[in-house]
Amino acid sequence: MTIHRREFLMGTAAFAAVASAPGQALAQAGASPFRPKPEGWRRFDIVTRLEVKPQGETRAWIPLPSVHEAEWSRPMGNLWTTNATRAAIHRDPKSNAEFLRVEWAASEAAPVVEVQSRFASRDRAIDLSKPGQARPLSAGARKYYTSATALLPTDGIVKETAEKITAGATTDMQKAQRLYDWVVENTARNGQTRGCGVGDIASMLKSGNLTGKCADLNALYVGLARASGLPARDVYGLRVAPSKFGYKSLGTGSDTITRAQHCRAEVHLAGFGWVPVDPADVRKVVLEEPPGNLALNNDMVVSARKGLFGSWEGNWLAYNDGHDIVLPGAKGPTLDFLMYPQAETVAGRLDCLDPDNFRYTIKVTELAT
Amino acid sequence: MRPRALLAMVLCLCLGGGTAPVGAEILRPWSGSPKPSFALKELNGGARGLDQHRGQVVLVHFFATWCEPCIPEMTSLRAMMEKQADNRVAVLAIDVAEVEDRVRRFFERLPVNFPILLDGDRAVTKAWQVHGLPTTYILDGTLTPRFVVEGAVDWTKVEVMRLIDGLTSRTDIQLENSMFHKGG
Repeated sequence: MTIHRREFLMGTAAFAAVASAPGQALAQAGASPFRPKPEGWRRFDIVTRLEVKPQGETRAWIPLPSVHEAEWSRPMGNLWTTNATRAAIHRDPKSNAEFLRVEWAASEAAPVVEVQSRFASRDRAIDLSKPGQARPLSAGARKYYTSATALLPTDGIVKETAEKITAGATTDMQKAQRLYDWVVENTARNGQTRGCGVGDIASMLKSGNLTGKCADLNALYVGLARASGLPARDVYGLRVAPSKFGYKSLGTGSDTITRAQHCRAEVHLAGFGWVPVDPADVRKVVLEEPPGNLALNNDMVVSARKGLFGSWEGNWLAYNDGHDIVLPGAKGPTLDFLMYPQAETVAGRLDCLDPDNFRYTIKVTELAT
Repeated sequence: MRPRALLAMVLCLCLGGGTAPVGAEILRPWSGSPKPSFALKELNGGARGLDQHRGQVVLVHFFATWCEPCIPEMTSLRAMMEKQADNRVAVLAIDVAEVEDRVRRFFERLPVNFPILLDGDRAVTKAWQVHGLPTTYILDGTLTPRFVVEGAVDWTKVEVMRLIDGLTSRTDIQLENSMFHKGG
């Protein structure tokens, strides 16, 4: 990991500022206030390697960086090597999520593909104090981002719950903030949840089991927002670097990021544009920052909670914001979302949450600027 | 139940985290239209159709391995089936939209004594208008829904077993009538 002198100095200055501030817990934990600012781009290479156990004809679909946002996410291309008979980039027509589709003949004894994806990212922070000049969404985009998906119904218990939470709110900003606070205060991260969770929000609300991981908790935010008429989207991706604010739970611990998938959320507000939020990461701080099970009034939680409504740290790759993705050539069902490599053999679709048996690895390198 | 009362109950559950299986009090008599028949791939091979179980009381149980309340409920379904002395009750557990490999590994750790069916594309789940997991329909011997429950149930509770016994008795009468009318 390259440490840039400017960032190092900034971090030092931030640390010095907090050391004399009331947030003693932050300083004691070696952390600084969670305040991402869009100051410098970082470039990364990730290498995804699949080695599928041969069982007849084999197919794979590997997510590629496909979120193009001038202010914070710039995919820079993909290279691959493989012994497959076919490999080509495909794009989901609804969401524009891109992925590499690979096919091996049944005669291939050791199907393997290695994909190198380069991208640049940087921190985001929206000034929420007053509306800016953000472009409004087109009617088509508004409809798309307020629509139900297979796991994000916007009627029934989701709508009833959303109406209860936002009752009395007079602006979209108030609604978005209330939904965020509700998810932060009423859900919990569950370390036992496999992968990032599933995101079946109606089941969560009906069962009363509001625990899970990012794909559950942030999906709950997105579903409640859509049910309130606010355009919102899950953005599926991958953590690629440690948090420069010292939050151990909000970054990677090594250059092997095979299990570092993380999805975030955005809500679109008139004048502000897409506003980044991540209530699931607030609950991750609660559960995982040492010594664990922090109270909501702990300084580290308070700082993350404030920062994660309106800003994101750029130590993360955004793959796509797709739902209900049909994989071309697949025999298995539609995907609820595409955040993990997928593969099928004659035995059926492999378990993407079991990378050791699947099997795949993902590694990251930060490039010098 | 009025929507407002239902919402209040749900929010109460959310805040209280009430995920433990409960008893017969949450079983609702079914008053909707009949449910369509289905045939699904069975875990570990073959296919199974609902129609094969005509004459039995059938619990059509929708679940997923990621669904936490589903896990203790699966254990209670197994215990309930162990207490069935004859073949009058069947459980068809339908896994919703998970890869077969994941489901197989789950049941290697938690074996059960009833078939597991795979609804990979949610076709049956949608056709039965299941909006949350777990959900269970209790069908009588004519495969007509009699009760539905959204949420986890302890199927070994006396009142639940009694309710199912009541349906099996009714099924026996229905079958006897059917045989009588056919001239037996």
